Amino acid sequence: MRNEVDSGVEHGEVLLRFADAAVGRAPDLAEAREAVNAAMGAHGVIDSAAVIANFQRMVRIADGCGIPLDATTEKASEPWRDTLGVNSYRSRSNTFG
Amino acid sequence: MTTTAAPFANPDATWNIPDRIRDAHVRSWERLAAPGEWWTGAERVSIAAEGRRASALLDGLPAPGPGPVELPEAAVFTIHKLIGDLPNVSREWYDETTQAEGMSDAHYIELMGVLTHIWSIDEFHRALAIKLEPLPDPLPGEPMRRRPEGLADHGSWPPTVLPRDLAESEADIYGGAKNTPNVRAAMSLHPDSVRWLNDMLDAYYRGGAEPGPDHEPFRVLSTAQRELVAARVSALNECFY
Repeated sequence: MRNEVDSGVEHGEVLLRFADAAVGRAPDLAEAREAVNAAMGAHGVIDSAAVIANFQRMVRIADGCGIPLDATTEKASEPWRDTLGVNSYRSRSNTFG
Repeated sequence: MTTTAAPFANPDATWNIPDRIRDAHVRSWERLAAPGEWWTGAERVSIAAEGRRASALLDGLPAPGPGPVELPEAAVFTIHKLIGDLPNVSREWYDETTQAEGMSDAHYIELMGVLTHIWSIDEFHRALAIKLEPLPDPLPGEPMRRRPEGLADHGSWPPTVLPRDLAESEADIYGGAKNTPNVRAAMSLHPDSVRWLNDMLDAYYRGGAEPGPDHEPFRVLSTAQRELVAARVSALNECFY
């Protein structure tokens, strides 16, 4: 996944690289993990691994149960869903049919 | 399949896993081994084992051995679909799966609870290059096959229970909240899966994240950093929710 825009989040680049490598079973996982370690220390590695693992579970529950967006999220995300390309996901139909 | 004397001790791991996380892993192994509402302990361990086989396929690694008992064909297919082909899970597929031999909506939800929690714990270990914990020996006992009260169609594929409709025996599953996000209610057809979810959310994401007496030293990601990582994982899985 390409980063066309800087997230503006501190250490965002190394965190995204770690997430990409872990989820994508990439051969540079060890280097990506070390980059987080160098930037944020061991706690940064453990905390980010936990967040990655957490959402590897949550997305499967969400899409495996076909849950629709919560009303507040549906409204809040409307302005940027197209820009980010999420309206092209098949699981959009769980909310909008 | 063997059970270690001290599960999740990880004596040779590079990373010092915080007690909050390690303790939740130990509780997860206890939950995994015990009989559920719709699957025996042996079947639950087999679900976890098949999840590891599906994961090995993704990683291009030799498949580990199967679990202690054979699962219905539809259950095996479900496990591989949820692990390796999530973007193509559809309502039609769900309907077909839950009507297949040996399956029901309740079997599906409990299978999902077992699979996604063990998969998540394994993903945590893979991200840190820690050897996966051997699966536990199953405990004896028969499933109770109880459906909770208050189930109704609230927009998800399986029926779910809203906080206001919870029976007393399940009153704890949303922590007393009057409203709950759809993702938290998604597995309420099998209340123990919601309890498991609460436990792992506390370990991996929520618990000790805010400043205060409960703050965990290992929670160093800011809210923005956590949301960035969460959004990326969701996008990589093409998850609209």
